[in-house]
Amino acid sequence: MITVIAIDALEYNLVEEFNMRNLKQEYYGKTDISEFSEPRTMVLWSSFMTGENKEEEILAKGDKEMWNTRIPHEETFFSHFENPFILDLPGYNYDLEQHERERRLLKEFFMEKDEEKKREIRKKYNENAFAHHRKIKERFLEALEGEYDFILGYFSVADVIGHLNFGNRMMMKMIYRDLDEIVSQVEGKKIVLSDHGMKAVGVFGDHSEYGFWSTNFKELGRPKITDFKSIILSETK
Amino acid sequence: MEREHLKLVIVGHVDHGKSTLIGRLFFDTDSLPKEKIEEVKQICEALGKELEFAYVMDHLEEERSQGITIDTAQTFFKTEKRDYVIIDAPGHREFTKNMITGASQAEAAILIVDASEGVREQTRRHAYILGMLGLKQVIVAVNKMDLVDYSENVFNEVSKQTTDFLERIGIAPTYIIPISAKEGDNVAKASDRMKWYTGPTILQALDTFKKTEKRDENPLRFAVQDVYNIDGKRIIVGRVEAGTLRVGDNIIVLPTGEETTVETIEEFLKEDVKEAPSGKSTGITVADKLFIDRGHILYRKGEKAPHLLKEIKGNIFWMSKEPLVVGEKVVFKCSTQELPCTVKAIEKRIDSSTLEIIEENAEKLENREVGEVVLSFSTEVIVDDFNSTPDLGRFVIEKNYNISGGGIITHLER
Repeated sequence: MITVIAIDALEYNLVEEFNMRNLKQEYYGKTDISEFSEPRTMVLWSSFMTGENKEEEILAKGDKEMWNTRIPHEETFFSHFENPFILDLPGYNYDLEQHERERRLLKEFFMEKDEEKKREIRKKYNENAFAHHRKIKERFLEALEGEYDFILGYFSVADVIGHLNFGNRMMMKMIYRDLDEIVSQVEGKKIVLSDHGMKAVGVFGDHSEYGFWSTNFKELGRPKITDFKSIILSETK
Repeated sequence: MEREHLKLVIVGHVDHGKSTLIGRLFFDTDSLPKEKIEEVKQICEALGKELEFAYVMDHLEEERSQGITIDTAQTFFKTEKRDYVIIDAPGHREFTKNMITGASQAEAAILIVDASEGVREQTRRHAYILGMLGLKQVIVAVNKMDLVDYSENVFNEVSKQTTDFLERIGIAPTYIIPISAKEGDNVAKASDRMKWYTGPTILQALDTFKKTEKRDENPLRFAVQDVYNIDGKRIIVGRVEAGTLRVGDNIIVLPTGEETTVETIEEFLKEDVKEAPSGKSTGITVADKLFIDRGHILYRKGEKAPHLLKEIKGNIFWMSKEPLVVGEKVVFKCSTQELPCTVKAIEKRIDSSTLEIIEENAEKLENREVGEVVLSFSTEVIVDDFNSTPDLGRFVIEKNYNISGGGIITHLER
């Protein structure tokens, strides 16, 4: 049994700076995503679950359609398990409506010129992301009590909130602390994994060119995101 | 009138609730800015969790690390009696270093111990440093009583375990208080969930502590930092480490032993300053043109002189992954003095957590160990008894340009 806590945009440098001990676990480091032309969420998670570089395939769908990707279960390594629990993972089963709403509000925010209106949009955007996070957290913690042979929980809060609030260190630190507490509640073998990190662009956040990994059972060096399929399968044999 | 303030340090194991206690102290004494609490509360709600003081402290710490100035009001908490300054953020990497080097000179300490976990390695190490520095005003706060159903038995057990260790390092805690920083029991308000405890709350206990007496009446020690020539005047800049420096004082310069008289005390935009009390950094001019340089110490003729020694013995707390090795040359820093010394002997190697003597006449002192060490110098070093003049009785050791250890002088005999 292994649990993966998949955290979008979890940034290596912030985990270090905030010294989040549960996120770091015993072994931690950066992933190598240099084989991809850009750090794109959908491309990276699709490659993770199949163990293959899916960049070309996903990009061929175009900017809009890309977000509707649903990789069939049998093409993912999840199919090697009898009773896996996969929560809200992009490219597999994530809540399309929720993520569509986030992208729409984000776009509205950057299109809007009026500062007052911008503030309102940001507020709505944050509320929407936090509400989703609370829901996901609850479902994930419930799943930990269930009879599964593999659990993967995907948390988007650091990415979604980070895009508009990366300059708000307190907010980011509290989010990291919350994620840290979530990881602390997972028992047994666990992997914390991000697709990419985040770097500051003024007060906003943009994707950084490496991801974060940690485990409580093995040193992984500088793995590629496609390596996790075999790492997980060999650990659960 | 300026309110009195007392410098307080809160030590203990990293998970035993230091942040929460600090947060609680700030909160219950209305010392936290309301808007900050509100901001943190909102994010807590957004994340679906209760407000915890540790988050508020995180926020303040975050601002500090970002260089956003926290106005002094935020680093203080107040009681009716006085203001308290908490020095050193808990979990601060430099904490141990600052404690030993005297960068933060605490007057009182709270040693926090988790009721459900008892004394841990870090508790012991921190306590050891308190003992080494001679801190006498110590409160043991047995925290997280809420996790052990406010049990008197658990409290008694943890108290005994703690005092047994403290006794071995010469600390007799002034108070041992069962608290729940999270719930607010016995911090500012007496707990009605622990009726069996009739002693003071943390705040009441703190208010009974005394300010460290000023060392104005002690023999004068003036440590020279630098010498400047300004408008034809030769100004000797330094700090009064003990005693009171006055215009007209006959002084002796160490290590040269030459005598002169203090002509003026020079302070920026102030005229006719007649004296400088202990703790003051100031400039002076003297009657004679003597050789005076950084690291020199001035004392008043007729008073007890500091010691000039070529060998000292001290307790060193080693804090570097590279060990301290017998025979090697390191840099000794004490007040403004900075000079090379040789590690002559490591008479004892002690585990700072268990206090066990690991080895006698050892070759090396490893990270986090304490050693009774003899250091020798090719020129004389000017030192004092730690208790009368702490700044001339404590030192740090620099190895490969890093501060790697610190300690206090235990033997002044040559």
